[in-house]
Amino acid sequence: MSESYPRPPNHSMAEVVETNNKAVFKPKITVFHCFNAISSTAGADSNEYDISAVRMPCSSMTREVFLLRAFEAGADAVVVMVCPEGDCRYMEGNIRAGKRVARVKKILDEIGLDGKRLNIYPVPEKDLNTIDRIIKQTVSDLAGLGPNPAS
Amino acid sequence: MIVGQQKPLAEIKAEVVPFSKLLILGCGTCVKTCFAGGEDEVATLASSLRLAFKKDGRQIKIEELTVERQCEDEFIKEAAAAIARNDAVLSLACGAGVQMVANRYAKSPVLPGVNTTFIGILEKQGLFTEKCLGCGDCVLDVFAGICPVSRCSKKLMNGPCGGSHGGKCEVNPDTDCAWQLIIDRSKDFGQLDRLSTYVPPKDWRTSNAGGPRKLVREDHII
Repeated sequence: MSESYPRPPNHSMAEVVETNNKAVFKPKITVFHCFNAISSTAGADSNEYDISAVRMPCSSMTREVFLLRAFEAGADAVVVMVCPEGDCRYMEGNIRAGKRVARVKKILDEIGLDGKRLNIYPVPEKDLNTIDRIIKQTVSDLAGLGPNPAS
Repeated sequence: MIVGQQKPLAEIKAEVVPFSKLLILGCGTCVKTCFAGGEDEVATLASSLRLAFKKDGRQIKIEELTVERQCEDEFIKEAAAAIARNDAVLSLACGAGVQMVANRYAKSPVLPGVNTTFIGILEKQGLFTEKCLGCGDCVLDVFAGICPVSRCSKKLMNGPCGGSHGGKCEVNPDTDCAWQLIIDRSKDFGQLDRLSTYVPPKDWRTSNAGGPRKLVREDHII
């Protein structure tokens, strides 16, 4: 008999901000990242969205169930940040992560959650500009996708 | 090992719709190795189903459990309490495991989550290929260790046929011609002349064509 996987932490309580009777969508983004690519997502914090970060020793630790459970925990989008191809300290972690992300995107499409909510990006080591651009792109995509319909 | 493939999510969802408390029961042997029904697949499927039902505005309670082997009573005893707590069991074992669980827990609906596909091998990571049909009368000694029953599309006992081209089968160009493999391997052994002996048609009574089979080992029965 075996135990279930641990779940990722829940998102913050701040979900929807009411302004002038109009609901403002404050996106919740979960970032899984290899800590060889980036040490943290602290620089990408903003009042316009919530970020939950999951640090991994290598992007090969990206498992299908972790990505899905991030959506169960209320994420509107999930981003996986990996080392560029050829730069993985463990040779092929980023390639494995890419294949698992592709599989979960298909599952999200089947469920009707839209696979576009999940994306994987290579990040040159400690490149904060790229991280900022990825988060902005994700927020921009979410403006069209809207909140996670299963949260 | 027995190789299986998880059913499409939509099909599984349709199976479990009538139930509000579901146990997804994995099997830690063959279907774990072929990524169809081990602990990881149980967890991924449970999460996918929860999301799918929640999106539809429906709650479903899903419990996850993986036992070592579902085809042995000793192992599925461990699932008794979990099965009693739920309305139904979605088994990710092969067809044998599903029926073993159904046999022991007569009052619980037991549903299949995997399509049992073939007896095969892990050829390389992520690639499983069929090698045995379970015909009940092994002839690998005659055919240099390559089985024409499971690997020749036409199950020829005296091949090859005219559809063998460049070592590939006319039925599917991705499939190696079993008879080409038999000939090549027989040459390596210096036993090519053995293939000139006519092999009579196969007697299928030892296969499933003779009805469900049973193996009795009196020396193990007390």
